[in-house]
Amino acid sequence: MKKNKGKANSTAEKEFVFEFRAGKHNCVLKVPLQFPVQENISDLHGRLMLLHKIPCYIESELKSSLLNFVEKETILDYDREAELALQRLTAGDVDVNQLTSAWSRSYVETTLEHARPEEPSWDEDFADVYHELIHSPASDTLLNLEHNYFVSISELISERDMEIKKLQERQAAEMDKVMHELGNTLSDQDVNAVAAQHFDAQQVLENKWASELKQVTGIQKQEYQEWVIKLHQDLQKSNNSSKINEEIKVQPSQLSELADSGTRIYEEQPQLEESFTIHLGAQLKTMHNLRLVRADVLDFCKHRRHGSSGAKLRRLQTALSLYSSSLCGLVLLVDNRVNSYSGIKRDFATVAKECTDFHFPCLEGQLEEVQQLVLYARAQRSSKQKDQPEIPRNGGEDKSKNVERNPSNILPGEFYISRHSNLSEVHVVFHLCVDDNVRSGNITARDPAIMGLRNILKVCCTHDITTVTVPLLLVHDMSEEMTIPWCLKRAELVFKCVKGFMMEMASWDGGISRTVQFLVPKSISEEMFYQLSNMLPQIFRVSSTLTLTSKH
Amino acid sequence: LTWTLMRPLKDAQLGAFTFFASALPHDVCGSNGLPLTPNSIKILGRFQILKTLTHPRLCQYVDISRGKHERLIVVAEHYESSLSDFQKRGITASPEKVLQMAYEVLEGLEFMNKHGMVHRALSGHNVLLDCKGNVKLAKFGLYHMTDHGADVDFPIGYPSYLAPEVIAQGSFHPSDPSRDVAPLPSGPKTDVWSLGVLLFELCAGRRLLQNIDISERLKFILTLGCMDDIVTVLAEEHGCLDTIKELPENVLELLRKCLTFLPSKRPTPTDLLRDHVFNGVSCLYTPFQKPVSLFSSSLRCAHLELPEDISELCKDDDEDYLSERAIDEVYHLWCLAGGDLEKELTNKEIIQSKPPICTLPNFVLEDGESFGQGRDRSFLLDDTTVTLSLCQLRNVREYTSLEKFPLMQSSLPQSNSSNELSATVTLPLIIRERDTEYQLIRIILFDRLLKAYPYKKNLVWKEARVDIPPLVRGLAWAALLGIEGDIQAKYESIDKDTPIPTDRQIEVDIPRCHQYDELLSSPQGHVKFRRVLKAWVVSHPDLVYWQGLDSLCAPFLYLNFNNEALAYACMSAFIPKYLYNFFLKDNSHVIQEYLTVFSQMIAFHDPELSNHLNEIGFIPDLYAIPWFLTMFTHVFPLHKIFHLWDTLLLGNSSFPFCIGVAILQQLRDRLLANGFNECILLFSDLPEIDIERCVRESINLFCWTPKSATYRQHAQPPKTAGDNGFGKTATYYSSDYQDMSKTDLSREPLALCDLKAEVSPRISAEDLIDLCELSLAGPTKRTRAGKPKIVAVDIRSAEDFSRGHISGSVNIPFGTVFSPDGELVQCPATGILQNSRGRVIVVICHAMKSAAMFAAHLVKVNFSRVCILDGGINKLKSTGLLTVPSPQI
Repeated sequence: MKKNKGKANSTAEKEFVFEFRAGKHNCVLKVPLQFPVQENISDLHGRLMLLHKIPCYIESELKSSLLNFVEKETILDYDREAELALQRLTAGDVDVNQLTSAWSRSYVETTLEHARPEEPSWDEDFADVYHELIHSPASDTLLNLEHNYFVSISELISERDMEIKKLQERQAAEMDKVMHELGNTLSDQDVNAVAAQHFDAQQVLENKWASELKQVTGIQKQEYQEWVIKLHQDLQKSNNSSKINEEIKVQPSQLSELADSGTRIYEEQPQLEESFTIHLGAQLKTMHNLRLVRADVLDFCKHRRHGSSGAKLRRLQTALSLYSSSLCGLVLLVDNRVNSYSGIKRDFATVAKECTDFHFPCLEGQLEEVQQLVLYARAQRSSKQKDQPEIPRNGGEDKSKNVERNPSNILPGEFYISRHSNLSEVHVVFHLCVDDNVRSGNITARDPAIMGLRNILKVCCTHDITTVTVPLLLVHDMSEEMTIPWCLKRAELVFKCVKGFMMEMASWDGGISRTVQFLVPKSISEEMFYQLSNMLPQIFRVSSTLTLTSKH
Repeated sequence: LTWTLMRPLKDAQLGAFTFFASALPHDVCGSNGLPLTPNSIKILGRFQILKTLTHPRLCQYVDISRGKHERLIVVAEHYESSLSDFQKRGITASPEKVLQMAYEVLEGLEFMNKHGMVHRALSGHNVLLDCKGNVKLAKFGLYHMTDHGADVDFPIGYPSYLAPEVIAQGSFHPSDPSRDVAPLPSGPKTDVWSLGVLLFELCAGRRLLQNIDISERLKFILTLGCMDDIVTVLAEEHGCLDTIKELPENVLELLRKCLTFLPSKRPTPTDLLRDHVFNGVSCLYTPFQKPVSLFSSSLRCAHLELPEDISELCKDDDEDYLSERAIDEVYHLWCLAGGDLEKELTNKEIIQSKPPICTLPNFVLEDGESFGQGRDRSFLLDDTTVTLSLCQLRNVREYTSLEKFPLMQSSLPQSNSSNELSATVTLPLIIRERDTEYQLIRIILFDRLLKAYPYKKNLVWKEARVDIPPLVRGLAWAALLGIEGDIQAKYESIDKDTPIPTDRQIEVDIPRCHQYDELLSSPQGHVKFRRVLKAWVVSHPDLVYWQGLDSLCAPFLYLNFNNEALAYACMSAFIPKYLYNFFLKDNSHVIQEYLTVFSQMIAFHDPELSNHLNEIGFIPDLYAIPWFLTMFTHVFPLHKIFHLWDTLLLGNSSFPFCIGVAILQQLRDRLLANGFNECILLFSDLPEIDIERCVRESINLFCWTPKSATYRQHAQPPKTAGDNGFGKTATYYSSDYQDMSKTDLSREPLALCDLKAEVSPRISAEDLIDLCELSLAGPTKRTRAGKPKIVAVDIRSAEDFSRGHISGSVNIPFGTVFSPDGELVQCPATGILQNSRGRVIVVICHAMKSAAMFAAHLVKVNFSRVCILDGGINKLKSTGLLTVPSPQI
């Protein structure tokens, strides 16, 4: 029998003694047993019979006395343990108040019966109402109304752009004049003064428009939400649906002309796209869809012309699934600052503002919240690390230095999430932080960016995001150092890692079918695209095409 | 879901409740480097044993299922009324009633304790009452299945009913870092305290400690330790001293015994049951007798008492037949009839889920820790049990026409819907398995047949050929494998604990074996895997553990999860039948012979494919060893294995060859189009195989294969003694070629190198005689319709042919049909050959070598079903079957 070292407190060895007569002999069987007894008593009994060649007429007697022994001793152990706990209490080793409040807390935190009543949440109520309406005949009206608001915002934006452009032209002319006079009547200082004045003027104008836009958006959002709630109430009140239908139908006609007038926006550009159906898993196979797309990352966010084919359908699809359990996500690669001042972050923010978000706080609001959380997370981490200094985090040293420099920045591999109802094909945006390292050719599967992807897929898994778009090359724009071998190497790495993560996901969620879109920048060549699309089926097992053959 | 001997439904209902397992800390690996098992799977594994706890005082557990995000839904026997009805109405129970209820609760507790379990969640609403007012304990398995509460966030038990020592040990949370050693779980005596509180409430007609805060409540319970008379203190505290004082002495004594503060002084349920307070009550109850299981040494009908008039048995015409079916059966049918647990719970608003977009985190660190996700209220515990509506099921017409099932001794049920049934039989298996009515009838049929096993063994075989209802598959397979006797005792007598050298390999293989399955990936599943595998290794000293044995064990373990002994017995019976000597330490001769016969089978059934595979050098050794060594369990998921084996178990040991060929044929186009490298890649991760088609085609292949063509000298030698007793009479298809009596006309063993040299299989003279219907004496073994069409080709010279040949054979002398480069030349003889394409072509010659060559040539030009007569024409000389053509007139 194995000796169990350590934990002498909870396990103890006791000896089972059994006496029996075999012919003229008095036999004694002594068995040391570890308590609490883990193994099956019947097995133990069988083993004893075998090992000690115990005569079969003793069999049942031995079994019952073994059972009795174990039962009795186990009860004694329970009693001892229980009374020790009671003694600790009476002796004051354990504080009664602390003990009972811990109990109380665990009931309050985990059971509905004892939990504090929930404050009504306006967001969730609105979510329910909206979800119900969008799945009713009223959906068309909702979409039209949303589009209506969208058009007025875009008019405002084009007006803004126009005014800013005018100002810039005027300023340019003025500056030309000033430059002309430079050295004659005007000095460098004068030029600088004019430039500063121009800059201020621009700022003033931009601020004016920003606040106006903000105001309009706010009004729109409020109007919209009130309208939705009212419509829902009306629908509930009257079963006479014809009246409602009329009410609903009034709007599309007036909207359609508005829709026609709103013809600015983006030209649809031809995308390169290829789809694959794959099987994952050794024995039990799960089916997923993969798509390789050559497009701009913001194409998934921008709204296209209302009348154009599929645009409205896509909007409806996005709206229908907003509160469902099949969400769409997009991975956006960002730098280490949580804001929207530059680069892709700025472009994304511009797109996000083109249309009012009627459901979630505006992007700035969400980012502010994230910024607070980042600070909170850092504080919590550092306090935890102080508590357990002996646990070294791999590569934690240079990271912690980084953090010390500016705790409000995020690190490569970390990501924040924003939620949107106003983007064309996406509900959730994962802002994954990457550094310049991703431009180099030698990142591995252990790179933070890749680990970030894994965590993103995990969130997809826990929050029912069934379609996710991932930048295959981990960059949004191509540059010179990204040669063909670089692209192929990077694509292979990401394909293989995503495959691994997807197989892992299958064990988390039971293999729900999902769609992963691999996005490559618009600037790669068609040839490169097809090279990548040839690589994909070599890494993933593409399911066989169904061949229909006649039976002989 | 496995079929056990559960009690009939009677007046019970099916109830479901749900809870969440606690989430694992993000990104932590187990000690073996593999990801941790989710807590819900651990619970699911531990739950299984609860299904075997059948006792009249316990609500039968039926099933557990996992939902999204670690949700678990438990299905169990349920009753609408409970002791909390008394509490709600504020009425007291009579002293006699209190004693009876206490006794019944204790009966249930004692039974649980005997199985090493403690209730811990005893309360008014977990003590249910059936329509006769008898006690049924509910949620008694929660403490066990959650590993004493370690796998869930919520505490097990209800504040007012917690025993003082439970409170003192603290609310243990696995996530709590301040605790490093888990306290010992609660013992049986904690339930006695809870029972005391419950009984007190019944006597007092009011609930205890209701209106005070939880922590105050618990503090109060702890202070009871300093009181002399806890019952009086409680009564005073709740202003019901008079009521309590009026109770009869034995009830008061019972209360005092239950509400003993110190555990060492408090009796266990077993002690209490035998206490004198129950003197007046215990005589009303007979101790529970566990029904005898199918496989035991004792007589199953020992206690059967038949009424004088046997027709009494079939009289209860008006009864609700649904209530006569076992609970698990009813649940199984409920699921088939479209029952959806999550929907039922959602309808009753027990499951309330928020839209996922509202619960997203805002920020996630590199190691996966997330921030900004508020605690979702829908994850809180609401353990209300919802009654599942059975009305949809009751509507199934068959339930009312059940009286048309006669006793099993007559033939099959001949209800007027049998026409409809026979129509269902022709539907695809997948559809049949989802057809409620059809399954009901099949389950009843198998239930009765299996209860009469082994007496009705032949009928089990007959019905299994139609199909096997998934619910009874475990036992049906055991019947097909001929399991008999006291398997439990045999299993227990095998030492599964002492370490053996194979342990390490087993330990490595188990976490990689069919782990997509919840049951087999649970820690309980691993423990059982280990035990069954070790038992097999230990009890077969001449054989060894080869990787693949784990996969082979998986289907048996899955089907008999709660009956390791049966899983072990099935595996032990399966291996000698289909994998004789495959698990020898040196098994190369067995496997080599097997694979060579397999190549011959490919050439026999699909010469074109065979030619291609041989050309590119893609030989069976490269891909088929895991197929056969694991009988395809390594390559297919469990649900496909079940359908494949349903048929495999009906066939003999050569059936796997046909399955192998059928799989190759499904991938035929891709194999033919590809070279060696692509084929290796293709098979490294076998593509989806349509298993029903595979089964259908392998049966067809099997029918076309002459029995002796798959002869192997290393196959299982014939059993010496015939089956005794109720042994089934072997049918042509199920018996092995080896099992038939060996005569001069049987096949001779062949050295491996000779066997390898031949492309086409040999068949015995016996088979030839049978297939050509040459024999004059005795009935043929198969009906004419079931026989493959055959043509015997005699390749001797015309001169030899005319001296004597098999009647009906055609003479095509070797040299006449093939050109030197192996092409068929145009002549009348080739015309005959071309016309016999599709038939079984038996090549007959003096010398085996030339016959083999001729056959190889035929295969080369894509003739299928070519075989050679073993021993040549000489074998037939002694039979007197050779004829000389009469001179033409």
